[in-house]
Amino acid sequence: MFYIHQTTCISPQQTFNEINLDVLHEAVDNKLCVIEPLYQGIPPGLLRRMGKAVKIGVGAALPLLKQPNVIAGIIIGTANGGMEESVKFLKQIIEYDEDALTPGNFVQSTSNAVASQVSLLTHNKGYNVTHVHRGLAFENAVIDAAMMVRENEETTYLLGGVDEISSYNYNLDNLEGWNKREHISNTNLYLSETCGSIVGEGAAMFIVNGEKANAVARLKAIAILNTGDEVDVKNALQNFLAAHLQPDEKIDLLLSGENGDSRLLHFYTCCESILGDNTSVARFKHLCAEYPTASAFALWLACNIIQAQHLPPHTVKMQASTRGGYKNVLVYNNHKGVQHSFMLVCK
Amino acid sequence: MGVISAIGNTVAQNHAALIQGSCGIKKPNNFPSKYADILPFGLVQLSSDELKAKLHVTARGVTRTTLLAMHAANEAIADAGITVQQLTSPQTALIGATTVGGMCLMDELYRDANRTSGGSEFISSYDCASVFMFLQAHYHITGLVNTINTACSSSANAIMYGARLIKNGLAKRVIAGGADSLSKFTINGFNALHILSREICIPFDENRQGLNLGEGAAFLILEGEESVGNKKVYAELTGYCNCNDAFHPSSLSDDGDGPCLAMEGALASAKINANMIDFINAHGTATQNNDEVESKALKKVFGDNVPAFASVKANIGHTLGAASAIEAVYSILNLVQQELYAGLNFTQPISSTGLVPITAYTKTGVRNVMSNSFGFGGNCSSLIFSKS
Repeated sequence: MFYIHQTTCISPQQTFNEINLDVLHEAVDNKLCVIEPLYQGIPPGLLRRMGKAVKIGVGAALPLLKQPNVIAGIIIGTANGGMEESVKFLKQIIEYDEDALTPGNFVQSTSNAVASQVSLLTHNKGYNVTHVHRGLAFENAVIDAAMMVRENEETTYLLGGVDEISSYNYNLDNLEGWNKREHISNTNLYLSETCGSIVGEGAAMFIVNGEKANAVARLKAIAILNTGDEVDVKNALQNFLAAHLQPDEKIDLLLSGENGDSRLLHFYTCCESILGDNTSVARFKHLCAEYPTASAFALWLACNIIQAQHLPPHTVKMQASTRGGYKNVLVYNNHKGVQHSFMLVCK
Repeated sequence: MGVISAIGNTVAQNHAALIQGSCGIKKPNNFPSKYADILPFGLVQLSSDELKAKLHVTARGVTRTTLLAMHAANEAIADAGITVQQLTSPQTALIGATTVGGMCLMDELYRDANRTSGGSEFISSYDCASVFMFLQAHYHITGLVNTINTACSSSANAIMYGARLIKNGLAKRVIAGGADSLSKFTINGFNALHILSREICIPFDENRQGLNLGEGAAFLILEGEESVGNKKVYAELTGYCNCNDAFHPSSLSDDGDGPCLAMEGALASAKINANMIDFINAHGTATQNNDEVESKALKKVFGDNVPAFASVKANIGHTLGAASAIEAVYSILNLVQQELYAGLNFTQPISSTGLVPITAYTKTGVRNVMSNSFGFGGNCSSLIFSKS
C-alpha cells in the first residue's frame, strides 16, 4: 500500500525528539495527557490561539516538513478535531446567551483545523482532507493515503492521527460507561476486571509514499469493519491473513489494542488465539490510553519496533520465539466494541 | 439521487422550485435561538417529529442531521433501484459528510456534558460519525463507511472519495453525499464572524451583505463505468480536485489561489479545456470575501470567456456540509434537463470584476457543469459532471 519514511509522535510518553519508552509515565486521575514539547516553527501569537489538538497535531507534523515542497498533500484522521474549542464556544453561547461572542474558538473548533493549519504554516496547497469517522478516523485516512499513493506516482503525503482529551467527551464517555469508575494506574491496566478504560490523547504523523528505498516500514494492508460480534472479527482476521500473508510467512507480533475493559477483552483474546503460539503479543494502551485515533499511536509504535527490533518489556503480554525478528507486525484495535481495524506493518 | 432542502423534500420538488426560482429562506417560527427573530434561514419544511414519523424512525438518540441524511439517502437508494442484496454487499460503500453532525443539539449537549449521572438519549450522537454510523446500521451496510469534514467543501470531498474508492477497486457502488442541520453553534459562529446577512442573500452582487445559513442533505449513488451496465445513468463525474488555499483559517486569499487550483485541477482531471464548461454552479455564498475572490478566480481560469454561472445560495442558503452534495444534484439536473436555473436577487455586478450571473431560467445545451465548494481552513474543491 505504501512505505513509511519518517514518523513523529506526541504522546503521554517520551516519544517526541528523544524517544525513551523504558521510562513509563503514569496516568493521573485515570488520564494520560500528552507531554507537550516546546513547539518550534509556530508563531507565538498563533500558538496562543491554538487548542491542544491543533497544537499537538501541528507540533508533530512540522518537524517532518522542514524541507519545502516535499509533500503533495495532507491527510488527517481525527474523531473530534478541536473539540475543546467547541466546548469553549458552546459555553460562550449558552452562558452569554448568544451575545458578544468572539469567533476565535469557533474557527479553531472545526475538525479540519489541524490539516488546514499545517497547510497554512507550510504553504502547502495540495490535497487536504480530514476524516472524522470516530474510532476509524485514522484508518480511513490510511486508506485515503494508500489510494493517493497508488493514483499519483512519485508523490509523498503527510498522514496523521490526532485527538485530545476534551472535558465534554470525557464527561459523555463517563455517562456512557467507557471510563473506569475506580481509580487505576496505567501500569495495572490489564489486571483490571471492570468495565471502561483510562482516557488518552496524542498525535502521530507519518511521511508516506510508494518508494521502498530507505523506508522505515511498509504498510502492507488494512481492513476495517463495524460489528459487535466476535465471529465477524474472527472471520475478518482469517480472511485478512489469507489475503496478505504468504504460506511461509507468519505474524511475528500482534500489537493489541487491549484496554482493560472487561467487555472488550474477548475480541483481543480471540485474535490472539487465531494467531497462535508463534506470534508474540504486545499491548500499547498503557502508553497512550484509550482514544478514537489510538491506532495512529499503534502504527507509530509498530514502526518503532520494526526499526529497533526490540519490544519495550512492559508492553509484552506473550513472548514467542524472536528468531527471524519482528518482520510482520499486525495492529488490531477496536473502538467501543464496534469499530475494528487490522493493519499489517512490515519490515 | 436524493435531496432535501428548504425548497423541497425530493428531487422532483427541488427541480420544480429551481425552475420557478423559489426561495426557501425565511425567519423560522420556532427555532431555539435569539437570532430566529432577526435572521432568515433556509430550513427544511419538515419538523424533526414529522421526519421521524415519515421515516418510521422510533430509535432513540437520532438527531435532525441524521434524519435529513436518511430522508435523502432513502430517496437516492430507491431512485437507483438498489436491491437489499446490493445494499448489504461488501462492495457497497457509504461515504458521508457533515460539519455539524449531532452538534445541532447544542442545549442537550451542554446539559449532558455537565451532568455527572444519567444523560439524555443523545449522549453518543453528538459527533459527526454518529450520522453515518446510524445509516450504516439502518441499511446493514457491510462495505466501507467513512465520514469526512472539510468544512463547507465536505460533501464534494465525500463524492470525490467515493469515486476514488471505485477507481481503486475498493467498492463497486458508493452512496456518497452529505447532511447538515441548522445549529445554534454555526449560527453563532458565523454571526461572530459578521458574515450573516439580515436580508435574503444576493450572491455576486455589489451590495451583498453576507450569507444565510441553511440545512439539508443529498446523496448520489455512484457506480463505475465497468459495472453500471444498462442501468439508468444521470451523468458522469468526469473531474475533481481538492486543494488548499493555505492563506487564512476563515477567508480566501485575495488572489484566489485555492479556488483557481481547484478549478484548474478539476479541468485537468476531466481532461477537458476550460471552454468546454457550459455552466458553473458557483460556491457564491454572498459574503464579501467569497464572491469577490471566486469572481477573480473565474476570470483567471476562464479568461474573458467566463461561462454562464450562478449560485443557489439565495434559494436554499448555505447548507455547509450538505452544500456540495445538494449542488451536485442540481448540477446533474442541469445536465439531464438541459436547462439552467436563475441566480436570484442579483441587480448590480461587483465593481472590481463586473461578472454577471445568469438571472433567468434558460433552456440550453449543457455538456459539462463545474461545481465549486470553498470552505474554512482553505479547503477548496471543484467537481465536474458531464452528460453521459
